Amino acid sequence: MQIPEPLREFDLNLTRRQLFGRSALGLGTAAMAQILNDQSFGLDKTSTASHGGLHHAPKAKRVIYLFMSGGPSHHDLWDYKPKMQEMFGQDLPDHIRDGQRITGMTAGQKTHPVCPTKYKFTKHENNAEGLWVSELLPHTATVAKDLCVVHSTYTEAINHDPAITYIQTGSQIPGRPSLGSWLSYGLGTMNENLPGYVVMHAKTRFAEQSLFGRLWGSGFMPSEHQGTLMRSQGDPVLFLSNPKGVSGKDRRAQLDALALLNQEQYSKFADPEILSRIKQHEMAYRMQSSVPELMDLSKEDDKTFELYGEEARDPGSFAACCLNARRLAQRGVRNIQIFHRGWDAHGNLPREHESQCKDIDRGSAALIKDLKRLGMLDETLVVWGGEFGRTAYCQGGLNKDNYGRDHHPRCFSVWMAGGGIKSGITYGKTDDYGYNIAHPDGTPMRPKPSKEKWTPGTMHIHDLNATILHLLGIDHRKLTYRYQGRDFRLTDIHGHVIKDILA
Amino acid sequence: MSLFFRWNLVPLIIVSKVLIISQVHSAQAEPVDFARKILPILSNKCFACHGPDSKKPSQLRLDSFIAATADRDGVRAINTDKLEDSEILFRIHDKEDPMPPDDAEKQLTEDERKLLSQWVKGGGQYAKHWAFVLPKKEKGKEGIDDFISESLKKEDIDFAPEAERSVLARRVALVLTGLPPEPSQLSKFLADDSPESYEHLVDSLLSNSRYGEHQARYWLDAVRYGDTHGLHLDNKRGIYPYRDWVVKAFNDNLPFDEFITWQLAGDLLPSATLEQRVATGFVRMNPTTAEGGAIPKEFQAKNNFDRTETLGTVLLGSTMTCARCHTHKYDPIEQVEYYKLFAFFNSTSEGSMDGNRYEYAPVLRAPASGQDWEAWSVLESERIAILEEASKLTGSIQGLDKKAWEGSDDSARLARIVNSNGPWKGHGLHPRAIELNKKTEELQKRFTTTLVAEDLKKSRETKILKRGEYNLPTGDPLEPGVPAVMGSLPEEAPKNRLGLAQWLISSDQPLVSRVLINRVWQRIFGHGLVRTPEDFGLQGEQPTHPALLDWLAVEFQESGWDLQHMLRLMVNSRTFKQDSKWRKEVQDTDNRLFARGQSYRLDAEMIRDIGLWASNLLDPTMGGEGVKPYQPAGMWAALMHPASNTKKYVRDKGQRLYRRSIYVYWKRTSPHPMMTLFDAPVRESSCVMRSRSNTPLQSLGLLNETQRVEMSRKLAERLILSSNDDGRRLDFLFGLLASRKPTDPERKVCEDLLNKMRSRYELSQEDATALISQGEAPSDAKIAITDLAAWTQLTTIVLASDVAILMY
Repeated sequence: MQIPEPLREFDLNLTRRQLFGRSALGLGTAAMAQILNDQSFGLDKTSTASHGGLHHAPKAKRVIYLFMSGGPSHHDLWDYKPKMQEMFGQDLPDHIRDGQRITGMTAGQKTHPVCPTKYKFTKHENNAEGLWVSELLPHTATVAKDLCVVHSTYTEAINHDPAITYIQTGSQIPGRPSLGSWLSYGLGTMNENLPGYVVMHAKTRFAEQSLFGRLWGSGFMPSEHQGTLMRSQGDPVLFLSNPKGVSGKDRRAQLDALALLNQEQYSKFADPEILSRIKQHEMAYRMQSSVPELMDLSKEDDKTFELYGEEARDPGSFAACCLNARRLAQRGVRNIQIFHRGWDAHGNLPREHESQCKDIDRGSAALIKDLKRLGMLDETLVVWGGEFGRTAYCQGGLNKDNYGRDHHPRCFSVWMAGGGIKSGITYGKTDDYGYNIAHPDGTPMRPKPSKEKWTPGTMHIHDLNATILHLLGIDHRKLTYRYQGRDFRLTDIHGHVIKDILA
Repeated sequence: MSLFFRWNLVPLIIVSKVLIISQVHSAQAEPVDFARKILPILSNKCFACHGPDSKKPSQLRLDSFIAATADRDGVRAINTDKLEDSEILFRIHDKEDPMPPDDAEKQLTEDERKLLSQWVKGGGQYAKHWAFVLPKKEKGKEGIDDFISESLKKEDIDFAPEAERSVLARRVALVLTGLPPEPSQLSKFLADDSPESYEHLVDSLLSNSRYGEHQARYWLDAVRYGDTHGLHLDNKRGIYPYRDWVVKAFNDNLPFDEFITWQLAGDLLPSATLEQRVATGFVRMNPTTAEGGAIPKEFQAKNNFDRTETLGTVLLGSTMTCARCHTHKYDPIEQVEYYKLFAFFNSTSEGSMDGNRYEYAPVLRAPASGQDWEAWSVLESERIAILEEASKLTGSIQGLDKKAWEGSDDSARLARIVNSNGPWKGHGLHPRAIELNKKTEELQKRFTTTLVAEDLKKSRETKILKRGEYNLPTGDPLEPGVPAVMGSLPEEAPKNRLGLAQWLISSDQPLVSRVLINRVWQRIFGHGLVRTPEDFGLQGEQPTHPALLDWLAVEFQESGWDLQHMLRLMVNSRTFKQDSKWRKEVQDTDNRLFARGQSYRLDAEMIRDIGLWASNLLDPTMGGEGVKPYQPAGMWAALMHPASNTKKYVRDKGQRLYRRSIYVYWKRTSPHPMMTLFDAPVRESSCVMRSRSNTPLQSLGLLNETQRVEMSRKLAERLILSSNDDGRRLDFLFGLLASRKPTDPERKVCEDLLNKMRSRYELSQEDATALISQGEAPSDAKIAITDLAAWTQLTTIVLASDVAILMY
């Protein structure tokens, strides 16, 4: 299609309008701002194009976030607490609970009996003192040398909706842009034929908690920054397929006619948005071939399925989502998130977590190995974690084989791997009950998020988000969006980059 | 690091001071407009440390003249005795110890330094932020065009020429009703050259009930209307009678002061009517939860944060959120004032958890459809008429206990008139009242519940919550009150939501009428006069035409808060009628001068509604439970809690597929994708300005979504049935969507595509059948399927083109 002459005339205006009006295209806004040498986005003016318009040289080009919705139990997966075995069934000591507000679900329980895990932990070699992993995650254990497991992640929220909203948007109350939207706003996209921010929902047997559009929504930012759902049912991207009876050739003819109609409209009104829309229609057309190409696994070699398992052929399985994530990453998508539900094990934790771990274990490990074999792990940040942890005490009836655990915000385990992360380490420590973050000597501490001061050895969820942004070349204090007169940030007024875990 | 202490480290290196003085002197001392030029700089670059929320009493504050000129150990930020010795002048240029400090996130620009210097040297005078000063009408100006033409003259330009009449007809119909003009309406207008014809068109648009639906939509965005609770299970919530009432209120042109009062405090009005109480759904609109384990006290606080801050956005154009945790960083709003405002809402009687219940009490039974609201209005008029007549007759009715009559309320009086053993038997009002009661009972059987606000008998105690934490109340209990900078409660006003409403609508309130009229302007002209409609505070944008905004704000109040009067002023203005063509000679990308007509992509709802309307599918039925048109399978199930009653999307059938988009079911955690794709907000929080994005996913939606394909087919059918001639059909198509005939190039594009598609579908009847079999609405069997398929292909793209989806 020929682009009409006046396009060039308006191009600069268009660019400025999109940036400074609030109607930016899906282009890297931070990067664009850099090109125009404007400080509206708080970018460091002295930084040069060598950072590609970012605040500093990025360690990772992209992020793949495996989100375990519902709150996986750190006790049963990652945080090895042998001493709890001796305390089986005894009431949790008061000095450990230390005034912690607990949810309405267990606040009424007469006792809070200590509930050690029933699972065997094995120490796996990493690049430091070794990593204890539960038998529920045999595959993940094989990549211990690549993981940085943070045991001292914490939040304030004690219930799902506020907690997941908090970790994903920086605020417990709905209305703010999600982490992914901030990244879309900051990074833009490297492949205009695919959405810049892709979200997948993996299948689970225990869809216990809901997800919300706001977790990948754009809040008060323009809606092009919202996550695009890559679905396993129907069209992978909404409305991707032509209607029945309309061929690709028909569509080409339609789009050519559409472009001419829009050009005619442009010749009348000269609004550059019209030209921009012509481009969007063309991009959509290209997406109609790039997305099916993405979803077509026929060219994947046997090695791929050895890694991910045959399950990866089942659309919507966690393994399939992980494989898609890698394929998206290869095609320049920088911002990918997989949500896996079903971790909210108030009762029957063993039955549920066994199934949950089976869902995600092989895929998570395969993703790391696969990225590594393709030489992409160094430039890809992989994050695994939920919105909070689970209690050391039992919810409901306790016996050696079956138990439940309530929500626990004071500490939980998250792992990161890849671009810019120190591999094969653990970070942070909890007390003997896995209840509080602890000093190196094991005594409990009560960190609070503070603008000025970061407590060494801890990772508040704002710190996690600050660190993710940092690795992608963004200073979380400088990536701002003006709304209601305030320059909002993902990390609110908080957040410290955890330098200890950076490579 | 420390922004707090640096300022006090005064000793400066003399060399640098000398250098700086020479710089300072080069600036010229001219008076600078403090409120417009200086305050925004101070607010944005200095107040984070030196503003209303300065942490230490010893800290310099720059938010008042007294503080800025005070002697602080021999140093004065503004030295009124010797202006050139003002510390500000040195420090903003200082290389050694600059302000803002090197590591501050926000630095001054060169222009800002110049302005600050100019201001200080001119005396460093302060003035109140414009939005907190009561609006006044500028003398000598009669209306909108006077203000706009003044600003155009400054740029040495004139208004753009008037748009073609057909374009104007489409534009005015779209801004008032959300739909293009009806063909008959359009031809009548185009046939009548008289000056009144435009006004007649406007009148007919304003009296069309489509008007209320369209205007209501913006209000529903602002109040975050949704059909579900929003949090956790996101279960169904019964509140659509509120939505229908809002539509009715716009169609009735209910004065806006009443519109506001009823919503905030209808329940507190003496003998509150059904409508007034339904309106209080506004107070109940915040998202709520019943998540197991949630702490009720925490949500009592969170629900009221939300209400307080939404009030701030919707009516005060003020961001209150900062003051939840600490005194506002920029605007003069103290934390205690936030909690005084919060206190107005803190005594409502509903539990802080919704119990996942549809009838989350208190609820009221109310009409369940637009039609029933009509019926209710008729009965209500009859009821009032009967009671009025009866009151005039009390002297002449035998056996009437006059004293008891005087002492009774309306319903007791009506019961007396109805009583067959009472004194009214035999009088003509008796059977009328019986009939009224009968009809009312019948109507009430169809009523449904809606969430309303009520207050507790004894008000809940409100204290400041330290850092906004529900479990850290501090200080003395607070009485409800309003931020001092915005005025004060009228003296006789009760200290409850009704008093709050009285304050909001009082002429001593500087913000409300400005904020509201700015949003009306925004929806008529595409951009507000203040382009941050959510923030009129120090950090917001300045109005492009401050005197016009004030004139409109005062006119709005003086007109008796008559929205239709204001809309008439706007759409009748020369400013509104300008051609939308971008002007080469005017460098004004964002149209801040309003030197051309508007041009922007229409909202999600309008795009859908226009398609339904053009294809004759649009069902005019108003109100009722949210409708569920086609939606890709599994969208809700993929997200939802197994216990949620909105887990499964069960799409509607028949006419309910074709209702106006304002009635589409609004599930807050997953609204309809054709809405969010085109920038509709999710309605979890207030939205007073939508973004207007332009994405490839929108293209896919426009061309492939089931309802789009269906409406294209039905539009094709309508065209085919209208004439046997392709040319005439094209005239009709463009007439519907663009209010004009196609241009020659457009005609050629369409004919070419049509011919191509005809021959293509001749070869594959199978494809033609597949294409025309989508959507529930049956096709006319008389039409050849190849013809229908070919026309469907064409209408799809015309409906998706900027001919149809752009405001111009």
